[in-house]
Amino acid sequence: MNDMRFVERTVGNEEVKIAARGVHVYYGDTHAIKDVNIDIADKMVTAFIGPSGCGKSTFLRCINRMNDTIPIARIEGDIMIDGEDIYDRRVDPVQLRAKVGMVFQKPNPFPKSIYDNVAYGPKIHGLARNKAELDEIVETSLRRAALWDEVKDRLQAPGTGLSGGQQQRLCIARAVATSPEVLLMDEPCSALDPIATDQVENLIHELRERYSVVIVTHSMSQASRVSQRTAYFHLGEMVEYGETGDIFTNPRDQRTENYITGRIG
Amino acid sequence: MTIATADTPRSTPNAGSLMQADAKTAKRNAREKRFRLYGLIAVCTGILMLVLLMISILTAGLSAFRQTTIEISVPLDAERLDPEGNRNPVEMASVTTFGYAPLLRDGLMQTIEAAGIETDLPEGDIADLISDESVAQLRATVLANPELVGQTVPVEVLASGRIDGFFKGRVTYETAELDSNISPEQLRLAEALEEAGLLRTGFNWRFITAPDASSTRPEAAGLGVAILGSFYMMLVVLVLSLPIGVAASIYLEEFAPQNRFTDLIEVNISNLAAVPSIVFGILGLAIFINFAGLPQSAPIVGGLVLTLMTLPTIIIATRAALKAVPPSIRDAALGIGASKMQAVFHHVLPLAMPGILTGTIIGLAQALGETAPLLLIGMVAFVREYPDAPWDGGLFDPATALPVQVYNFTQRSDPAFVERASGAIIVLLIFLLIMNLAAIFLRRKFERRW
Ligand SMILES: Nc1ncnc2c1ncn2[C@@H]1O[C@H](COP(=O)(O)OP(=O)(O)OP(=O)(O)O)[C@@H](O)[C@H]1O
Ligand SMILES: [Mg+2]
Repeated sequence: MNDMRFVERTVGNEEVKIAARGVHVYYGDTHAIKDVNIDIADKMVTAFIGPSGCGKSTFLRCINRMNDTIPIARIEGDIMIDGEDIYDRRVDPVQLRAKVGMVFQKPNPFPKSIYDNVAYGPKIHGLARNKAELDEIVETSLRRAALWDEVKDRLQAPGTGLSGGQQQRLCIARAVATSPEVLLMDEPCSALDPIATDQVENLIHELRERYSVVIVTHSMSQASRVSQRTAYFHLGEMVEYGETGDIFTNPRDQRTENYITGRIG
Repeated sequence: MTIATADTPRSTPNAGSLMQADAKTAKRNAREKRFRLYGLIAVCTGILMLVLLMISILTAGLSAFRQTTIEISVPLDAERLDPEGNRNPVEMASVTTFGYAPLLRDGLMQTIEAAGIETDLPEGDIADLISDESVAQLRATVLANPELVGQTVPVEVLASGRIDGFFKGRVTYETAELDSNISPEQLRLAEALEEAGLLRTGFNWRFITAPDASSTRPEAAGLGVAILGSFYMMLVVLVLSLPIGVAASIYLEEFAPQNRFTDLIEVNISNLAAVPSIVFGILGLAIFINFAGLPQSAPIVGGLVLTLMTLPTIIIATRAALKAVPPSIRDAALGIGASKMQAVFHHVLPLAMPGILTGTIIGLAQALGETAPLLLIGMVAFVREYPDAPWDGGLFDPATALPVQVYNFTQRSDPAFVERASGAIIVLLIFLLIMNLAAIFLRRKFERRW
């Protein structure tokens, strides 16, 4: 693998938030992630691209240990956040997930009111001291997810009654509400119209100032618009990782080039 | 690949007019119609069976809810009933029913005379018109109201089983000819009493509230003790099996590691649900009565046995309900940093609630109708004393249960008990109906939220 070169370059520039070393994931006998090494920078947006089934979601779920919930999943290798091994025995995945938020590929709002959906995280983490503070968190989160104007008059309506795209933005608001340090977004815009997509991309830009954001996307244009770094996954391997501009204009690997130019995927 | 054009309609299979169903569609529609017909027939057969069942039970049992009574003016002779003259119920209790019997008999004779009814029946035969139970009834009334002593008071007493049957059409002049317990003359006297307005048929509250009576007094037999006993057992079952069952299911479904051991537990729970209920009775007898030394015939033992029986039902229903909650909800909760327990209790459990409640109520309904295990732990006994309130240790007092009472009634020879047994079944069915309605109501209530 020629990953190390990119890694060096990354390390040179800025602080590393997430570092993965020799990560393998198995689902039973399926080898879904094969020896992935990557350094994800802080205060930066990293995009994962690649054909369907190549393991983007799987790798994303490793970063907040959501794969723990799948009994047949087995993970090898190390993943470090701020230099701490998150698979260490002392690490409580619950605490980790408060720090590493996630927006899932399929919108999954709670069957509760819109308000409760967003307020749930702050409530269980004790982020609001009173109702007014909670209201404020809910409002800012919904605003950042570009949903506020559409739902401000029906905060008590069920979250499941929203349209698919609205549900996805609700999930984004929910993830943002707990103020995570890392936000993992699995195809957050797959069900959104161009206007909402634009708003979510603005949110990602904004989040970047404070957090590190990892986004999985099938849209090259989105990857090139929002991300500073791009990683290309292929059949469980991370084939190429580098500056987004480089990847799109000057891919090193034939497979990346094929994918970007539309010959696979 | 060639593209079909307008001038080659035959090459495209769906090119025909939409106004006419083609052969394939017609066949498919016919098949669907046939299937619907089969379904309708099945539903109708089911409903017909249900209606037949209801008709047979209602025709046989509704009359149990009406009871013939005779109003008698009884002279409560103070010298006999209260020799001390203090009107003290404790002292008066020394007078047994033997002291009251002649008074009641005198009262009956005087009442008949005062009504101007003429009869040449001997006094003993006339007294047979009223239930043997009425003496005890009278004594209880007097002991409860000592100030009545010395007056002549009107008392509403039960007519005997045969007379009661006569006014419900069960006994006729023809059957009375052949019956050693009743004669046509007695029936005529009863009719005369009815004309005089002294004998009437009204709603039978006693059937619901009174305890069981001996096999010679069907007219006095009631379900009070059985209803209380069943109610106590349901309390025990609910209080024990709901928390245990739900906790076990949550643990197995959400927390337990998937391994051989949990698989074994799962198989065993499914097997337990299929174990014949009488086996649970044997188990209860061995463990709760012989080993733990709990009293026989007590609702607590019945409740424990039925809990054992209900647990698998509740666990299976609860696990199914938990499984039906989409995993994405758990992911969503875990993904924002909720602990597993928070995810389960805040999100999964509320969604599974309708299913859990339905399963629980179905389990309870099953337990309510269960007879066999109760026979083995002595709940078939003849119990005339009401159990105390649950907080006074009433769970340990002897009691019977509704289905066992039905069984008991059917074992007795007097045909009047057929009516009582069917009436008891109606009461049981009403309880089941109420429970099912509660299940529907709760399910609606929990589902309506979203
Ligand atoms: N829960 C699971 N159990 C078994 N295999 C799984 C599971 N989840 C994913 N896989 C397998 O792992 C591989 C990677 O899946 P993953 O969901 O990570 O793909 P992806 O890159 O996110 O694809 P997409 O772009 O379609 O979302 C696939 O071959 C998939 O079949
Ligand atoms: Mg995916």
